[in-house]
Amino acid sequence: MSKPKGVYDNAATGDTAFRRTWDREEYAQKAAERQSREAKERKERYEAKLAGKKYIPKSEIDVNASASEAKFDDSKMVEARRDRIRLDENLNKVQIVPLGTTGGRRGRGAGYYCEACDLNFTNSLEYVEHLNSKQHLNAIGQTDVVERATLEMVRERLAWLKQKKQEQDKAEEFDLAKRLVERRRVEEQERLEKKERKRIKKEETRTRKAQVATETSGHVGEVDGDAAIMARMMGFGGFSSTKAR
Amino acid sequence: MSKTDLPDAKAMLDSRGLYDGPTIHSMNPLLLMEKIIRERIIDSMYWKEQAWGLNAATLLDRAVELQFIGGQYANQKPTPFICLILKMLQLNPEREILLEYILDEDFKYLRVLAAFYIRLAWPAAEIYKTLEPLMKDYRKIKLRTQAGYKLTFVDEFIDDLLTKERVCDIALPRMPTRAQLEDLDELEPREPLVSDVDSDEEGGEGEGGEDREEGEMMEE
Repeated sequence: MSKPKGVYDNAATGDTAFRRTWDREEYAQKAAERQSREAKERKERYEAKLAGKKYIPKSEIDVNASASEAKFDDSKMVEARRDRIRLDENLNKVQIVPLGTTGGRRGRGAGYYCEACDLNFTNSLEYVEHLNSKQHLNAIGQTDVVERATLEMVRERLAWLKQKKQEQDKAEEFDLAKRLVERRRVEEQERLEKKERKRIKKEETRTRKAQVATETSGHVGEVDGDAAIMARMMGFGGFSSTKAR
Repeated sequence: MSKTDLPDAKAMLDSRGLYDGPTIHSMNPLLLMEKIIRERIIDSMYWKEQAWGLNAATLLDRAVELQFIGGQYANQKPTPFICLILKMLQLNPEREILLEYILDEDFKYLRVLAAFYIRLAWPAAEIYKTLEPLMKDYRKIKLRTQAGYKLTFVDEFIDDLLTKERVCDIALPRMPTRAQLEDLDELEPREPLVSDVDSDEEGGEGEGGEDREEGEMMEE
């Protein structure tokens, strides 16, 4: 006889579907790797001690070298923000928050979420501070230095800003006569459309009335065939009396 | 000077060990601003969001967006103006860049921003020489204080910078008066911007020209 199932064993209900599942084999492999690495390190440490030298872990040397390389090769310098950070993006919205994210910053939860670092912040100041932090900059491949502006860069920027301002000023100017003509045209079009709609509606009512008139005079059966017979059988042949005649 | 700047003022305000960065008046430039307002700025959202990662070129984006000047407003909030001043103290822009800022005609708030920085950072004689020509700029500017907005003018603001001890809630570095510098032969006597009495008496031409120029300035 099979063992009675517990409440939580029932996969069909999906009660426990939200829980994380673990790949046991993967973690067993990881553990084995770690054990062998540590054993090797212990051995090296022991040998270094016997030889009277200071043991420096190999991994540390590698990490330091690669980090300094990365700093000068791959990573970009920080730039000023182009736009405002949209802190009120999710205001007045309902968000679905995964279960089990009550404490700690890791993972998505209610509040501000940083994709790159997988961190969640409950207030805007903390979030912005995080965006400025070294941790975040490392995660998005930037260094925490800004390019120093030269005189040329300043001149270029200023010229660009002036041009932008001029364009804005131009856009703000408007021609009243032109706008009036445009408005009149739109109104005329709207009036015509309204007229057309009215005409179509009138025509429809006229045809419907004509149809009802022919129906009451008893010619419908021949005209519409089976459909009309069925309709009359179901009791919605028309607005006139449905009493048998 | 190094080819990079830092995105914020954290490293420059690190009080461990000796300070070995750029100096103004032989001190850390950021210390030209009093501790209390400096800390309010560094805690402010504008500093963290808008003033972060700026350099002397991108600072222009923020400077042209300024709507008012001032030190602190409302519940002792630092104004964007004063935040950008701290930013400039941190960046320590070169002389030519500042002249570029100040000689630009289109953006008045950029001009007063640069003028304020120059007053904080430059030697006295240079300040008089650079700022006095700006006294012919009569454009209106908004000054925001704890009490509310106040109307002032570029030339009035420049005059405040040259004569007052506290402007925009900041104690300005002490500076000898113009008369003292003239006595030391560091400055020539000031050429008045408005045509003097002699030329007025000579004929209407000079005066008329002056009036027209003033009118143009007012129209801007």
